[in-house]
Amino acid sequence: MERRKPAAIDRATALRYMGASGWTPDAATAVLLDKAEQTVLTAAAPRAVYRRLPRTALPLENCGSDLTRHLQGCDEVLLLAATLGAEVDKLLRRMELTDIALAAAADALASVLLEQVCDELENEIRAQIEAQGVFMTGRYAPGYGDCPLELNDALCLAADTVRGCGLAVTPQHLLTPRKSTTAILGIADHPVTGTRAGCATCHLKETCSFRKRGTTCFTQD
Amino acid sequence: MQIREVFDRKRFVFLDGGMGTQLQARGLQPGQKPELAALEMPEVLTAIHTDYANAGADILLANTFGANAKKLTGCGHTVEEVVSASIACARKAAETTGACVALDIGPLGELLVPAGTLAFEDAYNEFAQVIRAGAAAGADLVFLETMTDLYELKAAILAARENCNLPVFTSMSFESRGRTFTGCTVESYAVTAAGLGADAVGINCSLGPKEILPFAQRLCRSVPAGVPVFVKPNAGLPNPDGSYNLDPDEFAAEMKEYAAIGVSMVGGCCGTTPAFIARLHETFSPLTPADKIPIRRSCLCTPVRFVEVNGITVVGERINPTGKKRLQQALRDGDSAYPCTQAVAQAEAGAQVLDVNAGLPGIDEAATLEQLVKDLQAVTDLPLQLDSSNPEALSRALRIYNGKPIVNSVNGEPETLEKILPLCKKYGAAVVGLALDKGGIPPTAEGRFAIAQRIVAAANAAGIPNEDIYIDCLTLTASAQQEGAVQTLEALSRCKRELGVRTVLGVSNISFGLPCRGYLNTTFLTMAMSAGLDLAIMNPNTPEMMAAVRAYRVLTSQDLQSTDYVAAYADVQIQTTQTSKSAATVAEVGAAAPGGDALFEAVRRGLKAEARAAADAALTMREPLDVVNVSLIPALDAVGDGFEKGTVFLPQLLQAATAAQAAFEAIKAKIAASGQAQGSKGKIVIATVKGDVHDIGKNIVRVILENYGYDVLDLGRDVDPERVVEAVRQTGAKLVGLSALMTTTVPNMQATIEALHAAHLDCKVMVGGAVLTPDYARDIGADYYCKDAKASADLAKQLLG
Repeated sequence: MERRKPAAIDRATALRYMGASGWTPDAATAVLLDKAEQTVLTAAAPRAVYRRLPRTALPLENCGSDLTRHLQGCDEVLLLAATLGAEVDKLLRRMELTDIALAAAADALASVLLEQVCDELENEIRAQIEAQGVFMTGRYAPGYGDCPLELNDALCLAADTVRGCGLAVTPQHLLTPRKSTTAILGIADHPVTGTRAGCATCHLKETCSFRKRGTTCFTQD
Repeated sequence: MQIREVFDRKRFVFLDGGMGTQLQARGLQPGQKPELAALEMPEVLTAIHTDYANAGADILLANTFGANAKKLTGCGHTVEEVVSASIACARKAAETTGACVALDIGPLGELLVPAGTLAFEDAYNEFAQVIRAGAAAGADLVFLETMTDLYELKAAILAARENCNLPVFTSMSFESRGRTFTGCTVESYAVTAAGLGADAVGINCSLGPKEILPFAQRLCRSVPAGVPVFVKPNAGLPNPDGSYNLDPDEFAAEMKEYAAIGVSMVGGCCGTTPAFIARLHETFSPLTPADKIPIRRSCLCTPVRFVEVNGITVVGERINPTGKKRLQQALRDGDSAYPCTQAVAQAEAGAQVLDVNAGLPGIDEAATLEQLVKDLQAVTDLPLQLDSSNPEALSRALRIYNGKPIVNSVNGEPETLEKILPLCKKYGAAVVGLALDKGGIPPTAEGRFAIAQRIVAAANAAGIPNEDIYIDCLTLTASAQQEGAVQTLEALSRCKRELGVRTVLGVSNISFGLPCRGYLNTTFLTMAMSAGLDLAIMNPNTPEMMAAVRAYRVLTSQDLQSTDYVAAYADVQIQTTQTSKSAATVAEVGAAAPGGDALFEAVRRGLKAEARAAADAALTMREPLDVVNVSLIPALDAVGDGFEKGTVFLPQLLQAATAAQAAFEAIKAKIAASGQAQGSKGKIVIATVKGDVHDIGKNIVRVILENYGYDVLDLGRDVDPERVVEAVRQTGAKLVGLSALMTTTVPNMQATIEALHAAHLDCKVMVGGAVLTPDYARDIGADYYCKDAKASADLAKQLLG
């Protein structure tokens, strides 16, 4: 399904992605962000697809302890996939040739836009789910913690993402178009929150710039 | 039914309805592959087909939608087994009613390059396997459906045309905005599919009858008269529970509108059942299809950009190595970034089509043109003009071009016409015909017109209609043949008037050898436009020529309300100063001289335009190498140090890099113009490894390394280990940079490093990317780990100086 574009992209988060957390951009950077935001919003064609299935519909047994913890107590899962479409990829490729600063800003803003699209959809689904008297965890994406990227194959097949939103998995289990994401949310008959992967099993724990600054990538600052 | 009834269009032909939803309703379990129904539940499958046949379907689509090697991997059955069993079920059901059986083919489920990593040739091979199996199993036709990527559809059409003799039906799925997921327009789909020889075209899935109707109308107008159009909509729009909102009666009522627009085949897609097809049959049986009235128009396209050539259209001429040293070097090195940058700049300046030429002595033109087209279509939406007279080069480029291109060119010589026109026809391309032959360019308009007549006759005989023929009456150099300009324009007018074809001219030739070429070019362009020129091959970066084009469009009422003109010039002030060349340098030196280093400041502050201007000024006084070492690099170092200390942030670092890049363009141009060897500090090959499509980090590294004066050959992303080895061998690079973003692609990084070692190449390997760490880098055999672009520049300095 096609999804609405928000009026604006959250700049603070985009700056955080660019390693400039909490920085008040100078005038030139503000102009750069304006231009990047406007072009990304024009090029983006957000689409998403989701499907609610019994937990057993996906091969989740060998997908690591982090996802198991996240889905603790859940009998059902909600598979969600979203993409900004192929035009954003082409826009980024163009910018990477002509203006790498603009490209980096647009790349970060596009990632944030994708998250915003997912947040909005998750909120809508959550309202529907809770109206039925059941509860849902937050989003957990393959590739985080010790959950393998390979899970993307089964997830996208089960949610029929190729037909539903034009999102396909490569043989290396990456999502294409580039600005795409998948997520698994647990559904249970009692309140659940899910658990983040955290840093213990993260591939980046040694080199993470957030941790060096004494924070984490999932801490909102 | 006889298949010819499809093309007679005397009655409505009925297609069947949904298959997946029917299989689920009749016992397909979640997790069970629907592709295997013919083997696991053949009675059920045959019963579904039988119900559709009894409901009135003339064409039954076999259950082969996903029966390709990729989707069947690990299921224990071959493509051939699944296809023949599936066709057999449909055939059994068809026997009672005499319906035709179609080999049904859906998307492969993977995106093609550049959106994904599936190569066009690999997609072709997967389709070809299914098609050969379907033909062997006795299918009556090939039905390519639910396509959303025009490139994938092209691979499938070619596979069908080249591997069987069956009629080919094609169908794409559009969203409510009238584009497919990949942005393809209805018109681009129509002209590309028909141009490649699709026998019938249609639209299916995604939406209901009401939503598809306007797209089907556009499709009917955009394909030739002999190509029937069909629709297979969903049973309306989906409800929250996954069902659809129309019942059979409502569906048939909405479908009724199609009787009047030229569609001649109807059926259903997701959510439709035999009951829907039965109601459709009742509704349409008494009716006859309306006439389909196609618009004859000259057009070129890519999936997302449909360019109707109706009035002056600008073809950018810059991607042609003749006389351009930097482009020559880039083509020799296999460096795609430079031509791609030229493409983007021309598009921004107002080009609507891009000429692409890879003819350069000493290089493999066919391979280079093919690669160039692949690279360009990853970054530009503009249709391409494939500029070559080499049939091999044209054939390879036409094959992998995504959309409808134009070939430049044939001439009046029978040999070129015989070799190249069939290629244009096969791949659905338009063609440029040069009004010359073995005897050279006839001096008179009469002589050129006569050759044009021959070309048009030959093209028509090859099946190319007049709207796809563009005659070039040839621009002669005014300094050599002054009387030629008038003859060119006279011939152009006659071709247009008497032959009913389009015209094209390479405008800039007019002014060779004369000063202030812009004056002559612009005047000649204006005269040619007035004589009826359609395609102007020119440099769109020349403001006065683009101004002439925009002004002409205003004065001939093509640019209504002068909208485009105002958009282009509302914010522009014209400054025309003619300065004596001998006095100019002195004046500029004076302006740039006062204290401080303007270039250093402009780069440090990340000001792109100012950096370029300051570099131009500095180069009038100082040697290029001095400008690099004294101004540029110290500025980058200052910014880089700040970045490391945390006082400069990434966006600022990158803005400085972009400014330095602009300055470097000026420096490289100066060095190229002087004919000196480039003052490179050493060669570095960089690539994002096979399977990985995330390459912004690698691109940042490229910019930073280039800023420091290294000669960087960027192989792009998703790069085979062998290509890296080959590039290192050819360039003799002593440093290689590899990037990988994801855990699943790091093994390919390791494979690339091993390939470099196995080839005994004397180079060091630096690696970077989100999931890498110093330990991990060492484990996979890399020599260095770089945490960011600055670190890679520091390393290069340490290793290469």
